[in-house]
Amino acid sequence: MPRTLLVIDDDRDIRLVAKTSLELVGGFRVIVADSGHRGLAFANQARPDAILLDLMMPDLDGRATLDKLKQMPETASIPVILLTAKVQANRLELMGQGAAGVLVKPFDPIQLPNQVCEILGWRTSENDEEQSDKAPE
Amino acid sequence: MRTLWPTVGARECRRRSIKKEHRPRTVRELARSHETVSKDLNRVRLCLAAGANVIIMLMLGRIRLWMIVASMVSLAALGAVSWLSYRSTRELIAANKRLAQAHRLIEDLAALHEVLDEAETSSRDYALSGRTESLKPYELALAQLDFNVQALRRDLAANPNRLQQFQELELVIQARREVMKELVQARTASGFDGAVQVLQSDRGKRLTDDMRQRISVMQTDEHNDLLERERESRERARSTIVAVGVTCLLGIALLLTALLVIFRLNRQSENDHAALQKAEQIQRAILNSAAYSIISTDTSGLILTVNAAAEKWLQYRSAELTGSNISKLHDASELQSRGVQLSRAMGIPVAGDYHALVTKTGYGTADEFECTYVRRDGTRFPVSLSVTALRSGGNHPDGYLVIATDLSEKHAIEKMKDEFVSVVSHELRTPLTSIRGALGLLVGGITGPLPPKAGEMAQVALNNSDRLSRLVDDILDLQRIESGRLTMNKRPCDVAALMKESAESVHLVAEGEDLTIAMSPCEAWILADQERIVQAFVNLLGNAIKFSPRGGRIEFAAEPADHNVVFRIEDNGRGIPRDKLETIFERFQQVDASDAREKGGTGLGLAIVRSIVQQHDGRVWAESELGKGSKFYVQLPLRQSDSTTAQQR
Repeated sequence: MPRTLLVIDDDRDIRLVAKTSLELVGGFRVIVADSGHRGLAFANQARPDAILLDLMMPDLDGRATLDKLKQMPETASIPVILLTAKVQANRLELMGQGAAGVLVKPFDPIQLPNQVCEILGWRTSENDEEQSDKAPE
Repeated sequence: MRTLWPTVGARECRRRSIKKEHRPRTVRELARSHETVSKDLNRVRLCLAAGANVIIMLMLGRIRLWMIVASMVSLAALGAVSWLSYRSTRELIAANKRLAQAHRLIEDLAALHEVLDEAETSSRDYALSGRTESLKPYELALAQLDFNVQALRRDLAANPNRLQQFQELELVIQARREVMKELVQARTASGFDGAVQVLQSDRGKRLTDDMRQRISVMQTDEHNDLLERERESRERARSTIVAVGVTCLLGIALLLTALLVIFRLNRQSENDHAALQKAEQIQRAILNSAAYSIISTDTSGLILTVNAAAEKWLQYRSAELTGSNISKLHDASELQSRGVQLSRAMGIPVAGDYHALVTKTGYGTADEFECTYVRRDGTRFPVSLSVTALRSGGNHPDGYLVIATDLSEKHAIEKMKDEFVSVVSHELRTPLTSIRGALGLLVGGITGPLPPKAGEMAQVALNNSDRLSRLVDDILDLQRIESGRLTMNKRPCDVAALMKESAESVHLVAEGEDLTIAMSPCEAWILADQERIVQAFVNLLGNAIKFSPRGGRIEFAAEPADHNVVFRIEDNGRGIPRDKLETIFERFQQVDASDAREKGGTGLGLAIVRSIVQQHDGRVWAESELGKGSKFYVQLPLRQSDSTTAQQR
């Protein structure tokens, strides 16, 4: 059973690229949310294996969303990887806030799945089997 | 007018050839002249004393050495005049006393003369008339004569010359008495004829003439003595007057000089006062037009002066702040923590009040720091404070000057810049992420194979999106580093580990060009932000890879030098012209304008290297020879303990 990732980003194109990369390259099952609020709802509902969370979002931004994820018992244990532009990265501070890792935009879509596995300590081979079952469109 | 010499008048003077100026003057005249001189001298003395007092009082207003000297001279002059006056007065008193004595002597001699005449006349009367009534005046005259002689003898006891003269006179008087006695006896015994015999002997006349002569001589001598003394006294008085006059003139000269000096000093003082007022006005204008808050305090932190900017920023009037402690304008907790911080740093207890503001500068160290001012309404604003100790010559401060710059605008601008950079970064990177991602998926064949040309175009687009991404990164990095907003997290870093991490970052790229990176680290530690130093080395190594021929070799070495470590990255590429060795570290400067296209550089890599190295108190420079290669050197200071060890070696 492939792992499920929740991608929370307010940019449609990034959501599409990330979903395509993680599904086709990484073999993950990907759910996307376009806001912090919707992301919280999906996280609570779907209980993904990990969350990729954009830092700069309108209304409920990445930090506030992360706080709320960590406050909710249902989602507190879900590892969160923050997606951020380089200048915003204060890795130590973000890690201190409870993030499992930080990935810098723009990311290489070919390397993105490996980077996620590396941060979360997953073996990439676990999803390779699923990937091999999928035929490229 | 009773003259001294009842028998000597002007005619007698002419007869005796006594000059008019030597004409014996009356006692009253002499006394009056002496009295006049004495009064004049006293007046002069008083005037000088008053003048000298004025001089002293005026001069004491401005104590200067020469004024003290002038005052001493004035006092000396006053003293001299006083002494001269005193001496003259004493002499005048003595002269008056002597005058009285002379007067008395002359009068006594005249009286003696009269008494002798009386005795002679009465004895002659008796001799001629035989009347016994004439004997009474004769006997009275003799008794008086005895009395006068005794008195004279007593008076002349202190005057040996006169006494001797008188003693001789006495003998004559005695002889004349004998003759008169003889005459009386002759008349009594022998009647008229006996008296005539005595009278005819002429002895009486001779003795009388002798007596008169002697008395006259004594009177003349006495008068001459008096004149002599008077002349001497006049001489002395004249010299005293001259001395007093000179002293008076000196005093007047000093007084005039003092007045002149005082006038000049006064004028100078007025000029100085005017200049001071003007300077104060200018100073006040400067202080009040300054764009800084300027507050002066005494050593207890009590506010003395406040300029217009301070009043405006703090919303206080000057009168409301003057006399208050400056800690009133500060955040109490901020002062407390600063006090604790300074106590630790300086090793002395520093109270968390105004002492926390002034202690450091009081020890001679300039103090500038950021803190918070509190306005009258309780609102706060950030300031940069510069505290200076005011010293008027001694070691201890007399007060403090606190100059504050309002940082509100600067902080706001920095916040805006941060937000701008953050927004720009996000707004640029967001579409880049999509572009890069989509192209990456296309080129990677994830979405399926692309026709060759399409694949080539997709690759071009991907390469340039990567380049654009790097450019955005570099621009934002450089801006943050140069503005100081990129905090360097400096930690002790092992030189060898830094070099290894840097080389590993470019390993794949170097392998792709068949390049070898030869490492020669050294055992040393530096204090550095590891991520940023690695970024700098990666930039330099990346350049070396870019400009090295395929299959070449890149040297990456480090060696200690004094208190530093010098890293060297050497390639055998095409080299850099000498005139570009400095400019290549500037923004968007490349050796060849075509390098940006061919090598994919942004033109900011070396500028970033320089900024990072400078933030670490280091230095970067290049040496090169065209056609043979380039060497890039990065010098970074050793960690402190390592620096000490190196020094000891």
